[in-house]
Amino acid sequence: MATYAEMQEVFEDIRSDFRYDHELNGCLNCGICTATCPSAHFYDYSPREIVQLLWTENVEQVYDAMQEKIWACAQCMTCAARCPFKNSPGGLVAIMREVAIKHGFQSAKDVLRPFGRVMLKLITTGNQLSPDMIQPDHFPDWGPNIQKVEGDLKTLRKAIPMKTLQTTDTAWEVALKTSVEMYTIWEMTGVLKQLETMDENLFDVIEDFIEEKREEYDEMLEEQEEAK
Amino acid sequence: MSGIAGHGEFFQPTNLSAAEAEKATEWVKKRVDRRELDLGERMDDVREHMWQLEKEGEIIVHRISDAHKPAMVKTLFGWDKKIPTLQLWHHKSCGQCGNIPGYPTSLLWTMNQLGMQPGRDYLDETDQTSCTAWNYHGSGIGNVESLAAVFLRNFHQAYVSGKRMGHQPGHFFPLVHCGTSFGNYKEVRKYLVENATLRERVKKILGKLGRLVDGKIVIPEEIVHYSEWVHVMRKRIASELQKIDVSHLRTTVHMACHYSKMVHEDAIYDPEVLGGNRAAVGTSMAEALGAQVIDYSTWYDCCGFGFRHIISEREFTRSFTIERKIKVAQEEAKADVMLGIDTGCVTTMDKNQWIGRAHEQQYTMPIMADIQFAALACGADPFKIVQLQWHASPCEDVVEKMGLSWGESKKKFEAYLEEVKAGKIEYLYNPELALSA
Repeated sequence: MATYAEMQEVFEDIRSDFRYDHELNGCLNCGICTATCPSAHFYDYSPREIVQLLWTENVEQVYDAMQEKIWACAQCMTCAARCPFKNSPGGLVAIMREVAIKHGFQSAKDVLRPFGRVMLKLITTGNQLSPDMIQPDHFPDWGPNIQKVEGDLKTLRKAIPMKTLQTTDTAWEVALKTSVEMYTIWEMTGVLKQLETMDENLFDVIEDFIEEKREEYDEMLEEQEEAK
Repeated sequence: MSGIAGHGEFFQPTNLSAAEAEKATEWVKKRVDRRELDLGERMDDVREHMWQLEKEGEIIVHRISDAHKPAMVKTLFGWDKKIPTLQLWHHKSCGQCGNIPGYPTSLLWTMNQLGMQPGRDYLDETDQTSCTAWNYHGSGIGNVESLAAVFLRNFHQAYVSGKRMGHQPGHFFPLVHCGTSFGNYKEVRKYLVENATLRERVKKILGKLGRLVDGKIVIPEEIVHYSEWVHVMRKRIASELQKIDVSHLRTTVHMACHYSKMVHEDAIYDPEVLGGNRAAVGTSMAEALGAQVIDYSTWYDCCGFGFRHIISEREFTRSFTIERKIKVAQEEAKADVMLGIDTGCVTTMDKNQWIGRAHEQQYTMPIMADIQFAALACGADPFKIVQLQWHASPCEDVVEKMGLSWGESKKKFEAYLEEVKAGKIEYLYNPELALSA
């Protein structure tokens, strides 16, 4: 159980985000955000409640909402488009999620575990999804008609008339140089650090992968230099 | 006698003339027409601050020039937005490319049919990363700084991409395929323009990547979604390319949340489409083709994608999309097809129908993007170009209703797959153009 001082620190981290004043301007408690919220239909979640907790600086309840409720938000931003005060409850949730990760909340680790595959793909390739991730075997709930033409994935992808899309392990072909630039962005913006806090094993895998790709890139540059 | 529009028997028609009625309702119209709302007057147009920053030597604005043959449109509050129609850099989408490849192929095919020349009028290349916003909105991993650095890296590449073909900097202007990338980039642009600290921090990163121009970051004049290009080209697409009559088809449109609800002041509203009261893209293309566009009560609702939910809490995604979208489009609108304008929505609604059987909710609806529907109406092959083989929803039904034979097209495509195996692949552009780095 967190102490009040720890909860206060979490709250201050939320409040000190420069977006906070963009996203929170007041609240009439009109509830239009909750009325239009898709997640409110199915979860114990209310964007109005999130706004109220932050607006009234209810440090303990904010901390409590960060354990589970914030992960219900679908980030559609219907609430933001509807709010007469120009609040963005969805934007506030995004800040709260970042802070939950910064503080290494166990609840965040639990919620994000199934997201590891997407994270691995994104960080290492600069794509978030790939054709080989969405094969029929992985999604029995999508039904038997998921692929309307029989054939191996490689051939079916080759039959897409755009060169960049003829891939199976990335959504499109990303140049090695581009991926290496991306790794620099991850490092310099603290994203790899966030990842380490959330999932140390995944971080180790990604770190090794990045190192390998950087070596590959350096070799490519050397070869290009020699060819000149 | 039953009342009119919910009023009781006491309600009497006013019998006003058209001019009198206009005058009597003028004030009301002014108030209810969203584009007249005074909220717009109280809002800052971030683009004005962007020009100021350029004047002060802080940034470079990637301009939409006459060479981009721009078309002007109006946004929510009646502000102008410039949409380039030529010299476009395709900013691809993870979901589209990985899952619904007929989306970008239909777009590029349409551009080719309109006479656009690859390498001069558009470019699709490998030097592009995801915007990374799906991950951010799903997991909270990432931050404004990483999103901004990715924004600036990709858009710097768009700015310089024409160099290897001998074009001047700024020749190709980014055309963003994904709704979430579009919404995210607009948010990031706002933060970059408003926050000097953020600019300083990302400048260091871009400097390290060699992605500054004269020591400055490059921000595009407009963030443009592909459906906006389709919107401004719709009349040309219909008048020059359409081959199939679709006037008997009942279409419904799903508006992507991240198109019209994120930085909503930048979405296109057109008085000719949905009375100017709802975002115009998607609907405008269907109407231009002469298809019937049928309204339904949950038009404004999200699809249920949820970013994190579609991966790890799929029961929410399925339930929401079946209850609030597919069921309503089928029962209320009796639609033949639902058109989307974004990757996540098309994926969600396309893939999450069959599972409804588990709860005796047998609702089905062909789902595709506006540009896929337009390409079909313009004679594109349902398999080779529109790539409907990747869709789980019954797209074959709408293809048949268009008078095309799904079975014959499929046979031809299966024969083509044998040619593909032998290395005889047909491309929309010279594949060498794609290899950027």
